[in-house]
Amino acid sequence: MADLITINVDGKDIQVPEKIQLIEALRQNANIDTPAFCYHPDLKVAGNCRICLVEVEGPRGFALAISCHTQTAKGMKVRTQLGSEKIVKLRKGVMEFLLVNHPLDCPICDKAGECTLQEHYMGQGRHESRLDDEVGKQYKGGADHRFVDSKGEERGGKRIDLGPTIVLDQERCILCTRCVRFMDDVAKSPQLDIAGRGDHAYLTTFPGKPLDHAYDLNTADICPVGALTAKHFRFQQRVWMLKSVDSIDPSDSLGANLTVEYNNGRVWRLMPRRNPEVNKSWIANATRMLYQDLGRNRLTDGKIAGADRTADDAYAAAGSAIAAAKRVALVASGHLTTEDNAALIALAEKLGPKAEVFGGSWLAVGKPDGIARSGDPVANRKGLQLLGVRDNLDDLVARAHDFDCVVVVGNDLWSADAAKAAKLEAIASRIVLSAWSNAAVAKATVAIGIRAWAEVRGTMVNCNGRVQIMQACPAVPDPALEPAWRAIARLSQLAGVPLGWTTELDAWRSAVARVPQFAGMTYRSIGPMGQTIVEAGQPAAVGG
Amino acid sequence: MAKVVPRPDHLSFWERIYFVEIFKGLATTLGHARKSLLDADHFKVINYPEVQPDLPRDYRARHRLMKRPDGSPRCVACFMCSTACPARCINIVAEESPDHHIEKRPAKFEIDLLLCVFCGFCVEACPCDAIRMDTRQAVLAGDNRRDFVIDRTKLMDWEPKDYPLEDTQSQKAPGGALHDQAMEAFKSGTYH
Repeated sequence: MADLITINVDGKDIQVPEKIQLIEALRQNANIDTPAFCYHPDLKVAGNCRICLVEVEGPRGFALAISCHTQTAKGMKVRTQLGSEKIVKLRKGVMEFLLVNHPLDCPICDKAGECTLQEHYMGQGRHESRLDDEVGKQYKGGADHRFVDSKGEERGGKRIDLGPTIVLDQERCILCTRCVRFMDDVAKSPQLDIAGRGDHAYLTTFPGKPLDHAYDLNTADICPVGALTAKHFRFQQRVWMLKSVDSIDPSDSLGANLTVEYNNGRVWRLMPRRNPEVNKSWIANATRMLYQDLGRNRLTDGKIAGADRTADDAYAAAGSAIAAAKRVALVASGHLTTEDNAALIALAEKLGPKAEVFGGSWLAVGKPDGIARSGDPVANRKGLQLLGVRDNLDDLVARAHDFDCVVVVGNDLWSADAAKAAKLEAIASRIVLSAWSNAAVAKATVAIGIRAWAEVRGTMVNCNGRVQIMQACPAVPDPALEPAWRAIARLSQLAGVPLGWTTELDAWRSAVARVPQFAGMTYRSIGPMGQTIVEAGQPAAVGG
Repeated sequence: MAKVVPRPDHLSFWERIYFVEIFKGLATTLGHARKSLLDADHFKVINYPEVQPDLPRDYRARHRLMKRPDGSPRCVACFMCSTACPARCINIVAEESPDHHIEKRPAKFEIDLLLCVFCGFCVEACPCDAIRMDTRQAVLAGDNRRDFVIDRTKLMDWEPKDYPLEDTQSQKAPGGALHDQAMEAFKSGTYH
């Protein structure tokens, strides 16, 4: 923590860190709601929207300054909207200018409900329009106002296809340049720019080039208005109808924080959740599209020898197969939560010497992209290591003939490496617990449907040793589906070695008992932002 | 505002002894009964449910969806009505419209009349005068519950001739008195 200095805001002394943006000091330390369009905590400062204006004392008395581009300094005196009528009036003026040519299409705008312009109109504007909406407004982005630029490309208008994922509505754009700065500084792939000057300025891609970056959907999130909208979510739902739960990226070991937004028993979108130490405000497009799989190709009941059966039948068959087997291989996986893996390990202990736990993955590990992905598709690899499971799937393949029963949970080995997995077919009884009807289910003698990642409550440990919680989204294809740990607990009962677990807390306590680094951690202490484990003799690791 | 009926300050002797007032009330009742026996025509009876009662235009009856001059719904699927609806009886699925002027349109628009409480909030909430409750159809009958979920076709099954000439919005629909000039404006892009 940097040293605190004292600044005076509206006559009150407050303690703030030195040399941070004044807007952050006002918002966080002084708890004064300061509006902003162009300012974003994870982007460089542009200072072009002017709505965050405050009065700061200088050599010639109080003068206007934008709080996003002013740094806190010792003895600074600031007046905000609470202490100065002038600021209230000024912000109202800024709002009026921003809304001069802004269309009144909120009813069909997908941003309505989470639109910064709407929020700040209600907070700072509340003015009567002085423009006749038929004559005075210049809807330069309207369908009839498309124009051909000097390079012969069509510009302007509504519904401009910027690329595979994003649609631009030119007349809603307020030229805050958040998207431009995101592409320049975060994505490091400058694909957007503001062309033209003054009243003729417009947002565009480079001539003939689309907006296609693996992170470009973030531009739609940070757009303060409805200018950039995501094609996959366009017109699907109004945002005020969505409910959300906090979750974690299950497809990458950085564990980007996200929210699962659902309504009517279905997940409609995944949105990044700001965590400055993990993914800032960004998630990859690939992560964002995971929601589509939640309602697709799900295994909602059981299968025995490839034939559809009820889940109860499948559980009974799997339980008796485990009980009858002489040697059981249990395959834990980094795709599962720590709770699920703890359940598998506990089951192996209950089964005694006839059971052995294997783990790992055959998926290729890529490189970190420096934004919100580490490149490792096994999200909970670290958590599996902490539980003491080695990456020894190849060992299982080599010794496949020693076993007569294998239990694979939430890990599609057959898709990861079909040739290696084919050797597992030598094992007579193959029990697969899977959320999806995938290749592993096709090869299973008994398959049981379980809940997918968004539908369970549990923890994952990211590659930097940060324990993070996923909360359960209630939109499930079939409410009878069990989370993996409970399915394992149910199998343990049917196999005659009951674990006796009823909630995920039982599973978490079992994990805490096994992993010294988890000592003292509870769901509450982990919280929505996660908690970093302390390695023995090492300072706490820092994410990034 | 409800009408406030003042309580009498004090009761007279005949009112306080109670019996006289009872017989006065009974006389009124018997008077009506006598009138009904002798003159049956003053009863307003309709053949329910085949005949709709004669209701004023502003009675909140079954909904209808307004039409553009080309016969498409005025609705832009903004969900304001379903958001305002206290009974959650409006089910909309939106889609992209090929028309650049319109942008968004309903792929599905259903109202469950059995859930509807006929409060008229949807009409109030609509930003483009696309939904109205002026059909004067207050008697709704059906054999099964599914019949009461009315879709877009049913909601747009109305004729301008059944609506007064002062109702310009209705007359701009196909077949209406103002349809031709509205269609011209629609084609030239000046229609609102």
